[in-house]
Amino acid sequence: MKRALDRPTAPDNAGTPPDRDLVKQETLQRIERLRTKSSRGLWAMALFIAVSIVALNDFSLLPSLPEGIRAALGKPPSSIMISGALVVYTFSAIILILSRMMGGSEEYSGFSHVGYLTAFYGFYHFAKALGDNFWAVFAAGITILGLESYHIWNFCSEAIKREEEILAAIERNNRQ
Amino acid sequence: MLKSFAAKAIVPPAIAVTGFVIVCCILLYSVIKTDMLNDTIQHETNLAGTIVKSARFAMLKDDRETLRNIIDNVGQQAGVEQVRIFNKKGVIAFSAHPKELNTIVDKKEPGCIACHAGAVAATSMGRMEQARRFVNEKGKNVIAITAPIYNEPECFNAACHVHTAEQKLLGILDIGLSEEPLQKTLGVLRGRMIVFCIMVLLLAIGGVSALLRRNVLLPISDLTDYVSAVKKGDLDRKAPACRDEIGDLAHSFQDLAEKLKTAQDKLNKPDQPDDTTANRRS
Repeated sequence: MKRALDRPTAPDNAGTPPDRDLVKQETLQRIERLRTKSSRGLWAMALFIAVSIVALNDFSLLPSLPEGIRAALGKPPSSIMISGALVVYTFSAIILILSRMMGGSEEYSGFSHVGYLTAFYGFYHFAKALGDNFWAVFAAGITILGLESYHIWNFCSEAIKREEEILAAIERNNRQ
Repeated sequence: MLKSFAAKAIVPPAIAVTGFVIVCCILLYSVIKTDMLNDTIQHETNLAGTIVKSARFAMLKDDRETLRNIIDNVGQQAGVEQVRIFNKKGVIAFSAHPKELNTIVDKKEPGCIACHAGAVAATSMGRMEQARRFVNEKGKNVIAITAPIYNEPECFNAACHVHTAEQKLLGILDIGLSEEPLQKTLGVLRGRMIVFCIMVLLLAIGGVSALLRRNVLLPISDLTDYVSAVKKGDLDRKAPACRDEIGDLAHSFQDLAEKLKTAQDKLNKPDQPDDTTANRRS
């Protein structure tokens, strides 16, 4: 639906051709929007690396959680349970991203994945198993966000190429 | 390069397979490491139990010489880094290292703080909580366990009457084993898993790449060369032969090239009437 709305201005019912300058303006705006969107993957990756740097020393940069809140949160899940959840999450995230790639979808969920991965760091921290499992979460994050980044960059590059072809067609028509 | 067809076909599965295999291997290694560490602690707990049981008779008889001999002999065993018995006040009464005899154990040490964190010391702990890992003065990694020696009816009813019935804990056996064998096994396991990972990745990515190259990339490259040649005017060139959709596409291009060649021939020989004109004249 969103993609259909983004199409260049079509002729109206009376058959009047659209204004070329307006179409060109809209196309340039779409190219700019796509260029901004294609860099989202890098932003999400940078955010995840920043979170990982904080998590690397078992969140020692942050103040420790008060005992009251820790007690209210209850007993943390076992590290085996968290590891099982991480495997299932990584597998399903990869399958979803590959299916989005296959379907040519514009959807991007890199920032949500940064949230989920931060939650895994948190769970391992509370289960006192972050030291042993840090690199597993990091590898999962790099894989998922790498795929997301590649998908959105590839999608935007193709869309930009299509828009540039429209611009070229407008330029050709202007010359004639 | 990343915009090429080959990159689009190979990069996503390569990232997906590589990442997932690495995540699974790290998690598997972590689980195996935890299991092996638990087994070592279980083994150490059993060893501590055996020492306490073998020293029980000497303790009941208050035979300090025999008890000292038992602790010394256990301390000489390969892999045993420390073995000592201290009383409730923390005074070391028996140790394989004579230097630390009659000294007081620091309650803030990693192995003691778990029980002595609160105002009142905990008197019973789980097996895993009793264990601690540290680097000793020789620079060796040690897994140590403290086994409490509880007051039993045979103790407070014994002829020496040293302990009262109200006293719950008589002393603590502290034994530490070197982590060297465990680390060695984990190192071998790590190396094997890395080799296994590399083999899986080479097979998966190499297999997919080889099949893609053979069945898709090379035919497309041949087709691209053919279309470029046609574009440059080489209309006699034969289309690449393939049995799949790429082959059909190549044949379609060849048909177009042949039609283009016929049309060009007609244009180049305008005096020769075509079939339609000849028919009209007749």
